[in-house]
Amino acid sequence: MTALLRASGITKRFGGVLALNGVAFEAQAGEVHALLGENGAGKSTLIQILSGAIAADEGSLTLRGQPFRAANPRAAERAGIAAVFQELSLVPDLTVAENIWFRREPLTWARTVDRRALLRRTARLLGELGLDAIAPDRPVRLLSVAERQVVEIAKALAGDPDILILDEATSALPPREVDWLLGIARRRADAGKLVLYISHRMAEVRRVADRVTVLRNGETVGTRATGSLPDDEIVAMMLGRRLDRLYPQRHATRTEQVALHVEGLAVGHRLRGVDLSLHAGEILGVAGLQGHGQRELFLALFGALRSRGRISVWGKPIVIRDPHHALSAGVGMALLPEDRRLQGLLLGKSVRENLVLAILPRMARYGLLDLRREGALVADAVKRLRVKVATPEQPAGTLSGGNQQKVVLAKLLLTQARILLFYDPTRGVDVGTKAEIFVLMRDLAAQGYAILFYSTDLPELTHLADRVAVLSYGRVAAVLEGEAIDEAAILRATLAERRAA
Amino acid sequence: MPAALRGAGPLLAPGTILLGLLVLLGSLRRGAFTLDELNTDAAAAMTLILVAAGETIVILRGGIDLSVGGVLSLATAIAATRGPLGGWQMAAWTVAILLIGLGVGVANGVLISVLELQPFLVTLATWSIVGGTALMVLPSEGGAVPGWWVAAGAGTLAGLSLAVWLLAALLLWWAWFRRTRLATAIRAAGSNERSAFLCGVGLGRMNVAAYGLAGLFAALGGLFLTSQTGSGSPTVGNDFVLPAVAAVVIGGTVLSGGRGGLLGSVLGAFILTIIGNVVFVLHISSYWQPVVAGLILVLSVLATSLSERVMARRAAA
Repeated sequence: MTALLRASGITKRFGGVLALNGVAFEAQAGEVHALLGENGAGKSTLIQILSGAIAADEGSLTLRGQPFRAANPRAAERAGIAAVFQELSLVPDLTVAENIWFRREPLTWARTVDRRALLRRTARLLGELGLDAIAPDRPVRLLSVAERQVVEIAKALAGDPDILILDEATSALPPREVDWLLGIARRRADAGKLVLYISHRMAEVRRVADRVTVLRNGETVGTRATGSLPDDEIVAMMLGRRLDRLYPQRHATRTEQVALHVEGLAVGHRLRGVDLSLHAGEILGVAGLQGHGQRELFLALFGALRSRGRISVWGKPIVIRDPHHALSAGVGMALLPEDRRLQGLLLGKSVRENLVLAILPRMARYGLLDLRREGALVADAVKRLRVKVATPEQPAGTLSGGNQQKVVLAKLLLTQARILLFYDPTRGVDVGTKAEIFVLMRDLAAQGYAILFYSTDLPELTHLADRVAVLSYGRVAAVLEGEAIDEAAILRATLAERRAA
Repeated sequence: MPAALRGAGPLLAPGTILLGLLVLLGSLRRGAFTLDELNTDAAAAMTLILVAAGETIVILRGGIDLSVGGVLSLATAIAATRGPLGGWQMAAWTVAILLIGLGVGVANGVLISVLELQPFLVTLATWSIVGGTALMVLPSEGGAVPGWWVAAGAGTLAGLSLAVWLLAALLLWWAWFRRTRLATAIRAAGSNERSAFLCGVGLGRMNVAAYGLAGLFAALGGLFLTSQTGSGSPTVGNDFVLPAVAAVVIGGTVLSGGRGGLLGSVLGAFILTIIGNVVFVLHISSYWQPVVAGLILVLSVLATSLSERVMARRAAA
């Protein structure tokens, strides 16, 4: 069998940084081919070259045996390559239909967009993909993050591409939609198309990919069949060493002091009365299916959503008015938000400015910024979290996903908040950084921080949390502790409540 | 919401306000709903409507155009110094004035895109430059526009004045334009530049198109104004800049771009014009007009933001 896509000697420099160094790999029609590697290994650069977003400095690509070079994303699209990037390309104020067919809308005789054909095509496409729940004429800004990601994927599939590139496409998806996407990837491969699959989630790669190609430091480590390859070995290929363990040892650091106590917390009809106690030194996990109140719980605690019910912080009853109040010294609560690109970081601003924003009031002296102290704090934060930056003046948007998340974390830690709300902190983060974040979380707990931790990834909860509260239909269905925490128990708790409801 | 009303949501607030004003006017004065009244009102509102039409497109693109004030002034100034002309020369100058407006707009678009400058600053500068040019052409109010123009402005066709026909043409044009790929791309660029760019939208081209249209419409507004007054004024345009932005916002177009349309701006311009009539009929000081206009502006912004919140909540449910 000849390769559908072959890359050889691909080299790309950004300034002085060698992002890709002679990368070579080939992929065949009819397979799901996973690209794996740590942050900064070069996966994103490679697929950006494939999809025409940037040009390679050296090397050659062949597509169906012909030399191929995409000058821009449109050219790649015409050649049958469609990519779903981490960075969403949907326009908020256009409808689902307008977005899916943007720049290739069906036209009437008057050169206007044929709206009826547009809606009909969209309904048919969404129907084929099993997405009937999404209304074609709904503006994208009114969709949830998961729905947007699904529409983004539908948009890539609209042109029936020969090569579909999925870059961390599942990081914003709840489990049911992940299954949906893996099913689609499989079906396309079976229909003789190629799917290039980039994900940090080993379980998904194992489920869907026929072969994996591992990149490290901009070079190809090798391509293997997934079936015969143990996880350990994949991780070893990615890191160039064996990672002793992903999760840190769990020490009981929980104290008797209650940091956060919540009674009957309710928001709209999504959160219907939650009781929780979070102790100092504890990581309290929150589990639940998408849309069962986790988001509302975190936003309400942070004062970003209006809620009913009683909240007390360090034993004192309190009404959290807004995020500014939550962050204030009197409350000391900080949120690691769901979407770091939108809520956590100013991508155009430098790492230093992002960090300083969190602590402006403390930095000012007589109304002026104390630049020397600022520099020291920033340097310290960057070092403490091992953020890979050339200089703190580097724009946050140019960092890899894992490093961006570290900057957000550093921001939280600079605020002096002692109660940390972590909403899916490892989303779109590579395995090496994940391990660092887990170690950091356990360290913080040991220092007496109280951490509320939601994750879409069940193993993270079972390995990291001291206790796990399972939310179902806006209520706490169960609180698991110690030996009782395992994935099966969590799933049982979500399902048990469903039958009762 | 019934299917027929979906998408008309943003027009609900300005539509209601305009209807309220008209009902008020009708109860205060007889003959408020005659053909004559329509002709008069349309003529009174038309200049603002034309300027607001161009401003709408620029705001949809995510920008702002202050230079329309200068273009409008310059158009009247040039027209008012062409009094003796007639026939083909007058026709040529009409086209020339429109092209000058288009040219200023295109220059705005190019400056904003190539130099990557803030639209506010670029158009503030061109407003001043073009406004100054208008003063050089016609140092003070007066002059005479070609007689043919005045005749067209005063005459009627099938009982309808030039303004009404112009309005009909404008609405027809918009019904077509808003459905073109270009309009979709302009909206997209205003909604989220980065996403639009990733989809292959040429942001610079969108700027040239949007500001070019704004300049063209402002020049057309100037020509229309001279057809009503018969003379020119080198500073008259300055009184239209902020009311045009207000008309766009009252019409439900979001100032940050991406969402809205020309229909709302037409309603907004009518609202701002008819407030004057209401104040006049009520026999109160005309100083109340800007006060009422300001209150309506705040109300409209509130209505837009409330309807957005309701939609977001319904979407979350």
